[in-house]
Amino acid sequence: MTGQASNMSSVKLGLAVAWPAFWTGVPIKVVIALLLLATGLHPWEMPGLAFLLLLSIPIDIWALGLSSRTVFLERLHLQPPALIGLTLWWQATLFNALYLPIAYLIESQAVAGAKAVVGRILELELLKSLPVPERIGIELTMWGSAAAVILLVLALGWLFGFGRIVGRQVATARPAAEPYQALVRQWDLLRVPADQPLVLTVLVASGVTLVVLFWAFMPVTTPHPHELYEKPQEKVGPPLKPAEALQKTEKLIAQAESAVQALEAKAKKDVKNKGKNKGTGKGAAPSKAGQPKVGKTETTPGDAAAPTR
Amino acid sequence: MNSQPSLLEKVFAFVDERVGLKTLQAKMLNEPVPGGSRWAYVFGSCLLFIFIMQAVTGILLMFYYVPSADHAYASTQYIIHEVDYGWFLLSYHFWGSSAMVVMVFAHMSQVFLWGAYKKPREMVWLVGLALFGLVMAFGFTGYLLPWDQRAYWATTVGVEIMDKTPVVGDFIARFLKGGPTPGQMTLSRFFVIHVMILPAALMGLAGLHLFLFRKAGPAGPFQGSVEELKAKTDYFFPRQVWKDVVAMAAVFFTICSLAFIEPVQLLEEATPDPGDYHPEPEWYFLFLFQMLRLKIFSGELGQFLAGVAIPNAFLLLLAALPFIDRNPERNIFKRPIALVGWIVVMAGILIFTVSAIINREFLD
Amino acid sequence: MQPKLKSKVRCTDREVGEVTRIIVDPLSREVSHIVVGRNGAGVPERQIPASTIQAVTDDTVELRAPSSELNQFPVFRRDEYVTIHEVEIAHLEDHLHVQPGEVLVPLPELERNVKRRTFFTNLTHAIGALIALPLVYPVLRYLMKPMYAPFDNRWLKIGNVNRIKADDVGVQFKFKKTVKEAFMPEADVDKNVWVLKASPAVLEEVYGSKDMEFRDHTGGVIWTNKRDVPYVAYSGKCPHLGCGYKWRNVPKLGRQIFLCPCHLSIYDPSGKVLDGPAPRPLDPVPIRVATNGDIEIIDVEYKAGTKVQTRIV
Repeated sequence: MTGQASNMSSVKLGLAVAWPAFWTGVPIKVVIALLLLATGLHPWEMPGLAFLLLLSIPIDIWALGLSSRTVFLERLHLQPPALIGLTLWWQATLFNALYLPIAYLIESQAVAGAKAVVGRILELELLKSLPVPERIGIELTMWGSAAAVILLVLALGWLFGFGRIVGRQVATARPAAEPYQALVRQWDLLRVPADQPLVLTVLVASGVTLVVLFWAFMPVTTPHPHELYEKPQEKVGPPLKPAEALQKTEKLIAQAESAVQALEAKAKKDVKNKGKNKGTGKGAAPSKAGQPKVGKTETTPGDAAAPTR
Repeated sequence: MNSQPSLLEKVFAFVDERVGLKTLQAKMLNEPVPGGSRWAYVFGSCLLFIFIMQAVTGILLMFYYVPSADHAYASTQYIIHEVDYGWFLLSYHFWGSSAMVVMVFAHMSQVFLWGAYKKPREMVWLVGLALFGLVMAFGFTGYLLPWDQRAYWATTVGVEIMDKTPVVGDFIARFLKGGPTPGQMTLSRFFVIHVMILPAALMGLAGLHLFLFRKAGPAGPFQGSVEELKAKTDYFFPRQVWKDVVAMAAVFFTICSLAFIEPVQLLEEATPDPGDYHPEPEWYFLFLFQMLRLKIFSGELGQFLAGVAIPNAFLLLLAALPFIDRNPERNIFKRPIALVGWIVVMAGILIFTVSAIINREFLD
Repeated sequence: MQPKLKSKVRCTDREVGEVTRIIVDPLSREVSHIVVGRNGAGVPERQIPASTIQAVTDDTVELRAPSSELNQFPVFRRDEYVTIHEVEIAHLEDHLHVQPGEVLVPLPELERNVKRRTFFTNLTHAIGALIALPLVYPVLRYLMKPMYAPFDNRWLKIGNVNRIKADDVGVQFKFKKTVKEAFMPEADVDKNVWVLKASPAVLEEVYGSKDMEFRDHTGGVIWTNKRDVPYVAYSGKCPHLGCGYKWRNVPKLGRQIFLCPCHLSIYDPSGKVLDGPAPRPLDPVPIRVATNGDIEIIDVEYKAGTKVQTRIV
């Protein structure tokens, strides 16, 4: 791998540039996706997706530039052509527009076809009596391997195509005359930003923003409460109004007093009547004194003492 | 020096005079990584990070969780529904355990593929395998603690499988269950194992693992001439540490997102009769679970073979690996048996895991 | 032999200076260069690769080159190097023998007696073991206390035979069993058994030729189910993995059977396994029927998943 440019196959070249470029871009895109989520947009559907794809363009150009320059210096000992990131990006985009739909079609057809074939194989008399776990395992292995092989071939095909795109840049590049150590230093320093305070500020600012949004939007209790879980209900009693309560109490006490007075008066009268009746010899009338009057007199002192429940 | 040393510098000099801080710092941080720092080397540090996060969230959970059969479920539900952000911390702890298993597989695979188990790193590898066992034990014991149907039955089935071990199986199962049947004693034992015994063991072994690793030195890439390796060498700090920290941040974000999107939801409280519920272990044991369903492993001996004997035999093979494979070649593309073996094992685990998930629909 | 610091350096023609520093390769851990310092102010140190060294003795390093070629070697740049105390390179000191002599500290007088040392070493080991030893037995017993609890042989009333209307039909009897586990408060556990009024044919299949004996943990018989009693009670737990099973009418089979929903084990009325992963037939439990028809059982539990019946509760 430390050999000359012509020794590196297209697939290897494609992998050497695409793999690091992908992983370089992903963390930044994830942060953008999270920021989008915080604003309420879903990054996997329009219009959030459009936003994400648009912002991905400069990120991809930068990432492709960084990875390709590293490969050129480190592995190929060549000087990377100017604007290599941009060139690779637009050429790869064209390539993707052609290749990816076709690849998707092939793979989905292959998976469906493999599943159908395998399903039919397992219908054979010989295999019909297989128990369920074994069937599942065999089916999965059979169509899974077929689908995986085709996927691998398609992936290699993409790498080959992309590798050819990179190869065209390689063909036009001048050899780098410096010794190996100098080349290593060159690509290593590509990773140190020119404006360090700016980069650090942007990183910390977006991080802090995300954290604050996180604190603001995170629900305090679980967003999926258990259907059987009962939150203890706090029963709120009726509000206590002291002035009203006192007035009510006074009224009730006054009523009770008058009721008691009426009863006493009645009792005195009945005693007098009783004496008279006894004297006349008439049968004692059933004493009505014992029967309480219905209505206001029914109120018991207990009620007066409890204005609130 | 023109100006007086600042307060910080004075403190530093004070400690350095007594402890040799400058030298210590240099020794700890200026470890040259041959061939340069690599993203492929971050998995070990990520594991350490995840463990620390698990310890922190676990300790926080213990502020409210009660390990008693009549309170475990209620206290867990309380954490989820009443304690502010309790649902998030519990979900973080839950997803963190899955992340730990994923990272363990990644780390072991990286070490295996880079041939970094070969001489002189045999002991690092052996201690690493013990750590792997501990991580799986953590997952198994922690799963019981919420005491819902899923927790109770997954544990019961798991312990019953261990019971099938000849001679010592009954003793081991009774020891873990704290009796003939699962109950309060089981919960107490699993709790103390999960929060005391395993963390202590993990910290000890992890320390040993790091010490042995430092003594042997990083293995570095498996190809490249001496000149290339020298030209690209950088120090552990800051370059490798930076990569480690970025990976830790990525792991942290991923676990947070998962906790957010799929928070922990308990089933009903555990009952002695599973009823309609179909017991299932955590996803990283599903492949074993599916193997146990195969007809060839039916019967007590079969269950023992698939559940205990074969997995442990495989671990023993891994342990013997540095002593069987004495070829100093570390380039994976020149070790066909190793490469094919790794692919076969990973593919097998993947197929069995996915089969177990598909099989759910066929359980009447 | 490795060149020593402070050794004299000789070219082919004459002595040129001394070894002021030694440079080691971090990967191979071998001496890669020596730095030669020469007398005279302002004369820069030169860095000489190890391949130029012809011979090494304790105090001299002889170079292949003549002194006239010395200035062709690069000047030593101190800022391109760090001392071995400022980096962590494993096992580096093991490979280095560049000091011209040893640095020693005295061995204490008392430690020079080997017999004394071995005695105290062994005594330390013995006392350490004796500290640990007393704990072994109590700790084992402590941990094992709940593992082998004695069986619960209480008779529990579960219902009356008047619920059973026909022969060879499974009737579920649900009951509550009061259980006290260790320190936990007494709890009522929901349990169930399936009771059959067995016809003579089924009875024959269940019992075979002899009565069914139930033993406690010492091996003594606590109860015998007599063959002539037509009532059979099966433990409510499926012998496969302990799920609760059901009694079902299966039109396809044209009969009624016991069916476990967990893994589809199927049993006929005599408990025999018709299909599924069950390792043994349904477990009958001790049953006694009073004259007034009240059914009592002992709630015996057996280990699930084994071919041989092993009682656990």
